[in-house]
Amino acid sequence: MSDRAEAVLRQAVPPVRRLLPSVLLGVAAGLSSVLLLASSAWLIARAAEQPPVLYLSVAVVGVRAFALGRAVFRYLERLAGHDAAFRQLATIRAGVFERLLPLAPDGLASSRRGDLLARFVGDVDELQNVSLRIVQPVVSAAVVLVAAIAGLAWLAPASALAVGGCLAVGIAAAILAQQVIAARADRRLAPLRGELQAAVVEHVQALEVLVAFDAAAAGRARIRRLGLRLERATRLRASAVGIAAAAMSAVGGFAAAASLSAAEPLLAGGRIDGPTFAVLCLVPLAIAEVASALPIAVGSLRVVRASAERVANAVPEEIPAEVPTTPAEPVALLAPTSTSTRVPAPALRLRGVRARWPEVGGADATAAGDVGRTGAPAALDALDLDVAPGERLLVEGESGAGKTTLAHVLVRFLEYKGSYRLGDAEVRDLDPRDVRRVVGLVEQRPWLFDEDLRQNLAFARDTASDEELLAVLDRVGLAEWAAERGGLDAPVGERGALVSGGQAQRIALARAMLADFPVLVLDEPTASVDADRADALLRDLLEAAGRDRTVVLISHTGAPHELVDRAVTLRPGTNAPVQPGS
Amino acid sequence: MRPLDPRLLRRSRAARGFVLAGGALALLQAGATIGFAWALATLVTRFIDGAAPRSFGGILALLLVAASVRALSGWLWEWVGSAGAMRVKAELRDDLLAALERRPGGIRNLTTARAATLLGPGLDALDEYFGRYLPQLVLTVVATPVLIVAVWTADWVSGLIMVIVLPLIPVFMALVGMATEAVQRRQWQRLQSLSKGFLEVLGGLSTLLVFGRAERQVTRIRTVTDAYRSSTMKVLRVTFLSGFTLELAASLSVALVAVSIGLRLVAGDFTLAPGLFVLVLAPDVFLPLRNVGAAFHASTAGLEASRDALDLLDQAEADAAGGTGAPATAAATVAAQPHARGASEPDPAGLRIRDLRVLRDGSPVLEGFDVDAAPGEFVVVMGESGSGKSSLLAALLGFAEVEGEAALDGEPIGAATRSRIAWSGQSSQLLAGTIADNVRLGHADAPGALLDRALRLGGVDLPADRVLGPGGTGLSGGQAQRVATARAVHRLLATDGRLLLLDEPSSALDPDRERALGARLRELAREGRIVLATTHRAGLADAADRVIRLPEVARV
Repeated sequence: MSDRAEAVLRQAVPPVRRLLPSVLLGVAAGLSSVLLLASSAWLIARAAEQPPVLYLSVAVVGVRAFALGRAVFRYLERLAGHDAAFRQLATIRAGVFERLLPLAPDGLASSRRGDLLARFVGDVDELQNVSLRIVQPVVSAAVVLVAAIAGLAWLAPASALAVGGCLAVGIAAAILAQQVIAARADRRLAPLRGELQAAVVEHVQALEVLVAFDAAAAGRARIRRLGLRLERATRLRASAVGIAAAAMSAVGGFAAAASLSAAEPLLAGGRIDGPTFAVLCLVPLAIAEVASALPIAVGSLRVVRASAERVANAVPEEIPAEVPTTPAEPVALLAPTSTSTRVPAPALRLRGVRARWPEVGGADATAAGDVGRTGAPAALDALDLDVAPGERLLVEGESGAGKTTLAHVLVRFLEYKGSYRLGDAEVRDLDPRDVRRVVGLVEQRPWLFDEDLRQNLAFARDTASDEELLAVLDRVGLAEWAAERGGLDAPVGERGALVSGGQAQRIALARAMLADFPVLVLDEPTASVDADRADALLRDLLEAAGRDRTVVLISHTGAPHELVDRAVTLRPGTNAPVQPGS
Repeated sequence: MRPLDPRLLRRSRAARGFVLAGGALALLQAGATIGFAWALATLVTRFIDGAAPRSFGGILALLLVAASVRALSGWLWEWVGSAGAMRVKAELRDDLLAALERRPGGIRNLTTARAATLLGPGLDALDEYFGRYLPQLVLTVVATPVLIVAVWTADWVSGLIMVIVLPLIPVFMALVGMATEAVQRRQWQRLQSLSKGFLEVLGGLSTLLVFGRAERQVTRIRTVTDAYRSSTMKVLRVTFLSGFTLELAASLSVALVAVSIGLRLVAGDFTLAPGLFVLVLAPDVFLPLRNVGAAFHASTAGLEASRDALDLLDQAEADAAGGTGAPATAAATVAAQPHARGASEPDPAGLRIRDLRVLRDGSPVLEGFDVDAAPGEFVVVMGESGSGKSSLLAALLGFAEVEGEAALDGEPIGAATRSRIAWSGQSSQLLAGTIADNVRLGHADAPGALLDRALRLGGVDLPADRVLGPGGTGLSGGQAQRVATARAVHRLLATDGRLLLLDEPSSALDPDRERALGARLRELAREGRIVLATTHRAGLADAADRVIRLPEVARV
């Protein structure tokens, strides 16, 4: 396991003061459990000697108190443990986010693929289990075990030794099985599971095709074979986890037998009385139950470690050269005269611009079956480009020509070589945040937050009134649509599930209008729109953008040339000479 | 709530096997537990009574054997549980895929995404269900009564206490559940949206950066997560109450039994050995039920997963039996007409469609459509989006519900005519593998010359051994479209089919490629086949022998 994953794990451990309540409550619950059995055994064995009832009253009270204590402490422990874990979660999430920020978005694998994002968030959230399922139960159980065995030693050192020995062997066997066999099985299972899931998704998605080509039965047979392979791999894991469970189950019985054998000479020698003997024989059962928390925690550690490893991998230690950083002393970019008036659109001038995408989360991407990393957008090579203020430029080109790369260079998501000037300033010398105040981007797949329409617009300009928001919706042609759905309170759904691709583009454009970027880059706005509605959408978008800002429109299907002032074509592979369009 | 869906037992052989194996294992485990308790109690009692230690070798051996058998059964449970989960999942997956195949046009209310989730992560919920919840349930049902009988035999008073307390536990849990349901439901929605907060911030990170809003998210993450914590804790305080009820009932009954035995021992009404026996056994009586409570979450998730899957299977079967909207039946209604007219139709070769009505979810998406196409003809259907072009092709494939008359070479359109039809849909839907694998889908053993010809006719200019990712990733839209067209052409050639259906084959092509495709399709048709393509652009229509325009339908 890598040092960086260790560091991620360490950050997930809550500070002592936060952990203390749940640990103490856990100790109290564990001790109650052991003492319940001890006092019950003593009570029964002592009662058999038929002393006056008075002698038993303390034990009777003890039995009842410990029974009550066990349940109450356990309840409180669970609450305190979860509270501590959730408090730590806030720290974990904020910490991870702060480390992501300098890399975002193009230095991160998770921002390129939705499935990686969901897994990354799951991995980060899994880290809260460091406290809940590992540190807290292990510490509580260890304290209880030490105390209980010390108690046994006080009554009969030989018994304590015997019980301790049994526990050590049992726990070691259980942990070994968990660590070695189960870990190996897990490594084999993960890719198989991924393969099966990918096959199922593909089968379902392409079902019409498979049926139409008489290939459905063959596909189903393949899935069945994958299922069988997965079942065989699962057997290995089950046998390992089973060994751990069996070891902990056996340990109680064997410890009781060992303790009994060790204490018997003491009883025969009259050094301990009958009730004490009964306690020594029965208490190991309760101790073993407490100890069974340890192998379970080790199993959880395995899961959490894998998550920590992935989190560490997803966040590269050093910022790759392809991701821009803020210069130490950024040059101020033509400061606006006042906050309300906006910067006039500067000219864009690119000379010999080269750019490429950083390698990100390599292990992740290959594990997820990303063939040849074909998903990564292409590089940009020696590009010359001028965009005059207020110009409407169409950038055409096939997939792989580097169009999205260009968009990301323009908004300073990607570092470049060569020269890119905004007005008089070389962009490299500027604060990336300043660049993004001037050059805005409407992404290919704009992210809509699972909130209402108002919140999805207002974060672009939080001072905007409802009237302003409605006005901008009207400009992008969504006024009627919004009104039908309850105006600004209309929900957009998870990842914009309740809006169509075209509507999402319009909402994203409305956001950009609110932010009032002097230069606006539209990256494939028609990518998720039916081919026969694409031109209409483009027309609407460009009209809404108005004539007073620079628009760089990127599109692989092209656009009616009467909508733009000029068109250029990017060619993939070669030195990407930009050719004048019609 | 039922703990186990009876339909699962009815349908799944693996589920029945699991219950049988589990029941046997539970009996074994109960026997070992009783043997262990008896041996331990006997040993302790006899030692205290001062009997000679030599005579106890046998009982000590029994103690160790019983402990080992118990451990062994724990090990076997893992096997039975995980094998059960895997087999049941495989069975359900196979049944569900088969049901989907019978209705390629789609099952009502089931999107592709939902089907994929249901078959993948959805079924995975059964792992915990079979691995953790059901074993404890079987133990509760099988082992607990055996243990109670053992306790009763040793001491009927303790037995009675348990018989009274045990049924109270589920009752109390249900009461706690009912009392807190309203609180839970109020919190749930809020919890759902809060739990997504972090994912939303990460997912929208580039958007937030564009608008200069990324830095301030650190505080927001803290606030949202803290709000999530306090909301969740409110829910948990209530949720954990049912666990508390269980724990309290279990430990109080142990205390009750211990004290009652103690007091009767003092009075001389009872002896030590059965007293210790009952004391050792008492926690084990409650253990499975406690574990059932602990695995409650696994049970609800697993039940939901199996219910979703079984509902879908039932619905698919009901649809097939009832015939409401099943494409196969609809095709049968069509069947009678062409035969009736058979006499007046001297030459049935080709495609003949009269007054066709295509229905989606019961409402018409295309009405009154007529066309005749003879072998050798290249026909283009033009229409705006929503005018029913894709539905027409789905109907010709037998994927959609239709009324009216539709026949290919005199035989009514349906699942049977599908073998003479090759088709390419509006989205390319390529699969993981090489381009050649994709093109030869369903006809992998066709001669290699067909592959080359299909690639040429489709306009694929990429190497055939290029490997594509899942869903055909790695190609641009236009490239993927050309591969999909080549795939349909390959099937047409391999089966010597009659009819080639292409849905918008040129929507992602530039005008030059579009014209070239039109010319090649014409060439293909001239060999005596029918080529029917849809488009909304003029480029492809120029090459056609005939263009049919669909009227614009008011979109709903």
